[in-house]
Amino acid sequence: MAGNISGNAYALTILSPIKNAYTADEIAYADLIRDRLQGWNFEHNSPMAKVPNTYLCRFFVLDDVYTESQPTGGGLDTVRDLSPFVTDAMRRAAVPAEDHLQSRYLVFSCNFHGGPKGDLDAYLRGMWQAISDRIKEIWSYCYGFEQVNDADSFIAYMKKCQLTASLFFNGSNDEALAEQLKALYLKQEFAKFVIDNQGLDAAAIKVNMQAFMQRVAPNNLTAPTWSAGKYRL
Amino acid sequence: MTKQLDLTDIQGNVIRAYGRFGYPVARYVFLNIRHSAIARDFVAAVTKRVTSSVEWGNGAGQIAQPNWTVNIAFAYQGLKELELPRSSLNGFSPEFVQGMKHRRDILGDDGPSSPENWDPIWQGNRETREQDVHILISLNARLPQLLEESYQWLQDLVKAHAQGVVILGGNRGDDGALLDYQDVKVVMENGHPTSKEHFGYTDGIGDPVFEGAPNYDLNVHGRGKQMDDGTWAPLATGEFLLGHVDEAHEYPPAPQPILLSRNGTYMVYRKLHENVATFDQYLEKHAQSFAAHKNLPLDDARELLAAKFVGRWRDNGAPLVKAPDPASKAKFDMQFLGADQQGKDKLLSDFTYDDDMSGAKCPFSAHIRRINPRASLQMVKGACPGSMIYNKEAFDTPGALTNRRRVLRRGLPYGEVKDRSRNDGNHGIIIMMINADINRQFEFVQQQWINYGNDFQAGSDKEILLGNHSADEKTPSKAVLQVDPNSDEAPYFLSKIPRLVETRGGEYFFVPSLTALRMIAKGVIDPT
Repeated sequence: MAGNISGNAYALTILSPIKNAYTADEIAYADLIRDRLQGWNFEHNSPMAKVPNTYLCRFFVLDDVYTESQPTGGGLDTVRDLSPFVTDAMRRAAVPAEDHLQSRYLVFSCNFHGGPKGDLDAYLRGMWQAISDRIKEIWSYCYGFEQVNDADSFIAYMKKCQLTASLFFNGSNDEALAEQLKALYLKQEFAKFVIDNQGLDAAAIKVNMQAFMQRVAPNNLTAPTWSAGKYRL
Repeated sequence: MTKQLDLTDIQGNVIRAYGRFGYPVARYVFLNIRHSAIARDFVAAVTKRVTSSVEWGNGAGQIAQPNWTVNIAFAYQGLKELELPRSSLNGFSPEFVQGMKHRRDILGDDGPSSPENWDPIWQGNRETREQDVHILISLNARLPQLLEESYQWLQDLVKAHAQGVVILGGNRGDDGALLDYQDVKVVMENGHPTSKEHFGYTDGIGDPVFEGAPNYDLNVHGRGKQMDDGTWAPLATGEFLLGHVDEAHEYPPAPQPILLSRNGTYMVYRKLHENVATFDQYLEKHAQSFAAHKNLPLDDARELLAAKFVGRWRDNGAPLVKAPDPASKAKFDMQFLGADQQGKDKLLSDFTYDDDMSGAKCPFSAHIRRINPRASLQMVKGACPGSMIYNKEAFDTPGALTNRRRVLRRGLPYGEVKDRSRNDGNHGIIIMMINADINRQFEFVQQQWINYGNDFQAGSDKEILLGNHSADEKTPSKAVLQVDPNSDEAPYFLSKIPRLVETRGGEYFFVPSLTALRMIAKGVIDPT
């Protein structure tokens, strides 16, 4: 699915149909999923922060998509245009007045670092390994999810639910998440270094710079750095 | 034929910054409506004396210059009390309906700027009906005794409509006194009036020029919109007046009927306290290290640094892009001294950032670059690290990102600095910004360009002078003074910038046309 890839970024769009059922205390599964997702907002951080290489993502419950089918641009219109014998009433009778979704959907859209080939399997495997309990908390109310019991079956399930994103905005700088977080950390630390050393003579700055480089370890992506999902100091 | 505005219908403060026309003193008076019909009679009486935009002089179509001017504006609650029809009220913009206090998060009015710390008059506003600010009347005069005369006129009028309107007190004045009006006046220097504010900067230069404003073709250089071929054109009238086509070739959203909104506009009133002691100390501290950094004498370094905060030199407002260092400033001063009024205006306003895309002359976080970036936001990274270049291909016109974000600036300084070593005196400026869309123009500039730096490739750096700098040690404010990327110079970092300016009150007002005022007064606004 080349359409999902821009540079090293991959746009994943998942629509999972939610079972049309409700709990013993009469809460529809779709509403239950929404409640649980809203609960994530009250946690210290999103569970998705634990999923490697996630740039950004969004969950929501799609209640319906309503399509009015008239006026149509279909073949019958063309026929009617050409033939005075097909009346407007006949045309109207031939198409449904409106169209709805068959079920409510859990929508998960996500931008992640997938590399030039867009390694979706690796991302989904990482997601399952990091937060399988949280995935079940949400997805277990969707059709077909009962077949999911490990990373492989999760990957297979998600691919069945995938829509192609043919056009998307890539807001990342194309580096892997760890690279980006380290770059952000280095930029901030370097600004502090400049402020602390402004006006010192070259020899002193050189000594301090060496200590600075030791401390911030530019080549070490794991530490010190910003942690994923962190939004406050 | 060029656009003709109906100057008899437009209130005078929309077209003129009175301070620049020989009115060095003013009072802003706020009223609360107690009885709708009597209040409408009061509005009718004020309207008879309201100053329009008609040209002053003795020629044909001109009127004699008045000794004092009167202008009137209404907050949303006031229009409600005047019993405008519900469907007209529904047409006002959401931010105007909400009012400045409730836009605090967008405006960054936090910490010392938060509404709990505003003047008492603003504490009760939008909390208690009897203390809502409904009407703003501004009186500008040529002399202090003439201002007294105008205030007496207003007091008499209020007395004659005592059941209908009351003047609200609670404007902080000298020594904590609470006054029935906000007093403003130009800053005096050695007994002479100046156009400076209390930090010492020359203020009120480069107000936007729009189509139809008197003499717009003469003043358009550097004050209109920058065009592809290097010329300047006036901004569309609809950026500043409702009922006229704006820069998007549309009529700005406005309440119905059209007679209520046409030739009217929105005005942002803001009282900004200036922490002069903090400013002086911060400037002095950095002047010393900046002198060493730039290898300049301390006095030169201090003034250059002060200029870097704003983008203009303090003494005469010379723009840094034209006079980036003490030597070029000396040359500029010679030219400036020899120029007539129009020549001076051109010297001060007619410039672009096209040759300063990397901010070496005027820093990205300097006041004037943030308030009006001209064509400088259309930049992409150049080959040399730290350099930015103009991206001509990306947009139709050089001002594409700027032309919809302009505001007319009115108002004057208030108070006097009696002791420069203290912050707690009565000194600051009243700034009144006029625009057709408060959210798109004023609020956008305040939120995105003053309190945030991303559009300027400056991360979270705020505008140096007006930014709501953090007092939190963990997230101190900083700003970078850029240098020529091809030189060996190091950029200068301003660290731990303190809060230099604090909001002390304000509200959003609607400035109706004279026609609309007469209709409001008669109670005949009919949107059907």
